[in-house]
Amino acid sequence: MVSHEGIQAAVYELPLSKERPEDFQIKGSKGPLPESLLVQNILWFCRFRWLVIATLVSYGTLGLFPGLTGYFRIRPPGAWPFITALVLTLSNLAFLLFARTKHSPARTMLNLWSQIVGDLVVLTVVVYFVGSLETNIAFAYLFHIVLSCVFFSRRQSLIVTVMAIGMFATCITAEYVLKLLPSMSIFAHTSHEQDSSQVLAILTLDFFLAIGIWLVVWHLASHLSSMVRQRDFELAETNRRLMAAQEERSRHMLATTHQLKAPFAAIYSNAQLLLQGYCGNIPDEALRVIQRITARCRRLTAEIQEMLQLANLSSTSQESLPRTKIVSTELLLWCMSQVDPVARERGVVFKTDIRPVAMIGTEDHFKMLFVNLLSNAVIYSHMNGQVQVSCRRGPNSEPIVTIVDNGIGIPAHKLSHIFEEHYRTKEAVQHNKESSGLGLAIVKHVAEMYSIRIRVESRLGFGTRFELTFPSSRESSGSNREGETKWLIS
Amino acid sequence: MAYLLIVDDDEDFASTAATVLRKDGHDVQIELDTDDAAQSMESKPPDLLILDVMFPEDASAGFELARFMRHKSEKLKNVPILMLTAINVKFPLGFGPHDIDDHWLPVTDFLEKPVDFDVLKRKVANLLHGDSTAD
Repeated sequence: MVSHEGIQAAVYELPLSKERPEDFQIKGSKGPLPESLLVQNILWFCRFRWLVIATLVSYGTLGLFPGLTGYFRIRPPGAWPFITALVLTLSNLAFLLFARTKHSPARTMLNLWSQIVGDLVVLTVVVYFVGSLETNIAFAYLFHIVLSCVFFSRRQSLIVTVMAIGMFATCITAEYVLKLLPSMSIFAHTSHEQDSSQVLAILTLDFFLAIGIWLVVWHLASHLSSMVRQRDFELAETNRRLMAAQEERSRHMLATTHQLKAPFAAIYSNAQLLLQGYCGNIPDEALRVIQRITARCRRLTAEIQEMLQLANLSSTSQESLPRTKIVSTELLLWCMSQVDPVARERGVVFKTDIRPVAMIGTEDHFKMLFVNLLSNAVIYSHMNGQVQVSCRRGPNSEPIVTIVDNGIGIPAHKLSHIFEEHYRTKEAVQHNKESSGLGLAIVKHVAEMYSIRIRVESRLGFGTRFELTFPSSRESSGSNREGETKWLIS
Repeated sequence: MAYLLIVDDDEDFASTAATVLRKDGHDVQIELDTDDAAQSMESKPPDLLILDVMFPEDASAGFELARFMRHKSEKLKNVPILMLTAINVKFPLGFGPHDIDDHWLPVTDFLEKPVDFDVLKRKVANLLHGDSTAD
């Protein structure tokens, strides 16, 4: 490069495409759930807590009836179920209020951790009163351990597990080792009063067994949860890539349309200049060549358009397009108006019996469907023929649209192929060379998207009848009449 | 006779359209990009702008020019715009007359490429007479 004084050389370095960090999936899989999901779960926890409160109140109420406690051989619990239920009720109301106010990630996590710590404290109180080692109540801690494995990262769930173990151990130590608290149980008589040393050994074993089981459960649940979450993130990432690819594809298709159609537009324009005499007189033979060029340009442009429509319909994003209520009369009249110029050229007239019926779908898709069917009906009609278009409600109020022509018809053995891409019968090619063979493939795609049943009946040389039954219809059945062929897609 | 400006990066197409419209008695100017078109219009506003959508440097430069004229230029805001597009106007891939919107797509009418010159002449005549709805 020659250097010039006073002129700064511009430099640009092509950046490498952004690479995803290698540890993205692992990082993602170890993190907690998204905030919106956590908020939903806060509300779910609160609802579940009402059940616990109801159980505690029921148990406390039971204790008010000595006959009942005697029958079940349990001690009257006294006031503790009501006090814990009250504490849980107040804290639950506070959590609900907190969750329903405007949330941020930090507030959501604070709410969740407050619930967990509060629940563990209340549970430890309940465990003490119910009988920390005399009953299996201590396994209620497993709820918290498993749920924390599901909703939190592995490290956070381990913290919850250690907290549960710590609180349970404190309760046991205060109750049995330091004897700071009297030994409690819901049962009227407990066996350890008879042989304290043997019972203590059993209780110690029970204690360590319970903690061992919790740790194993934590390990398994957190491991499985990590795997599920990793899969979740992988799916989310794959989905994101697919969406990006789809978006790129749409942009590419748009650019392709332009790139392919623009040159044809220029060729067509120049051919028109010659045809219309803007460049002076041209011999008849040359004019015929130019007419063929013009016709070919039109046909190629139409083919490109159909290919793009078909590709577009095949993409999944089309399924998410908004569906609206479409009135059959407006839709079919619009579609007929699109086909009308060709119909007039061929002297084909429409005979209509269209009753207003509502259909649900994406208007452009239904337009594609009917324009293709109507233009086929017109194109494959004989000159000065007639195309009947009708719309009515079926027995279950389902819209049924029928398009009947008295054209060239389709041979029986070829009916099953007419919806294939680029398929054209020999008879169709002889009748009309201008088709791409994609029209009915487009019809098939739209029918599949909206579960529209299409019944085709045809008699070679006499015409074809397409009957479209929109969803919520019962599958119509009928036997073939002699000399007629029927084909059904759904 | 009216002064028409064709803005299209496809010189072949623009010159053929210009030939046809000149034959109809109009004074036709061609610009191959939207920046030059904006400058040209500032000095001499056309009676009608025939505008392509996609340009090599910006796939939506045609939209941008239309929005600039309608919303930022006092001088050009009333110039009728006939938008030419190679993108399908009938079905979902592109856009069509139902998408004309004062903010998003402030044009007067659409014409799909390849253009039939009889249709082009009819549309131009209609737009010059202030009728944006006739075909």
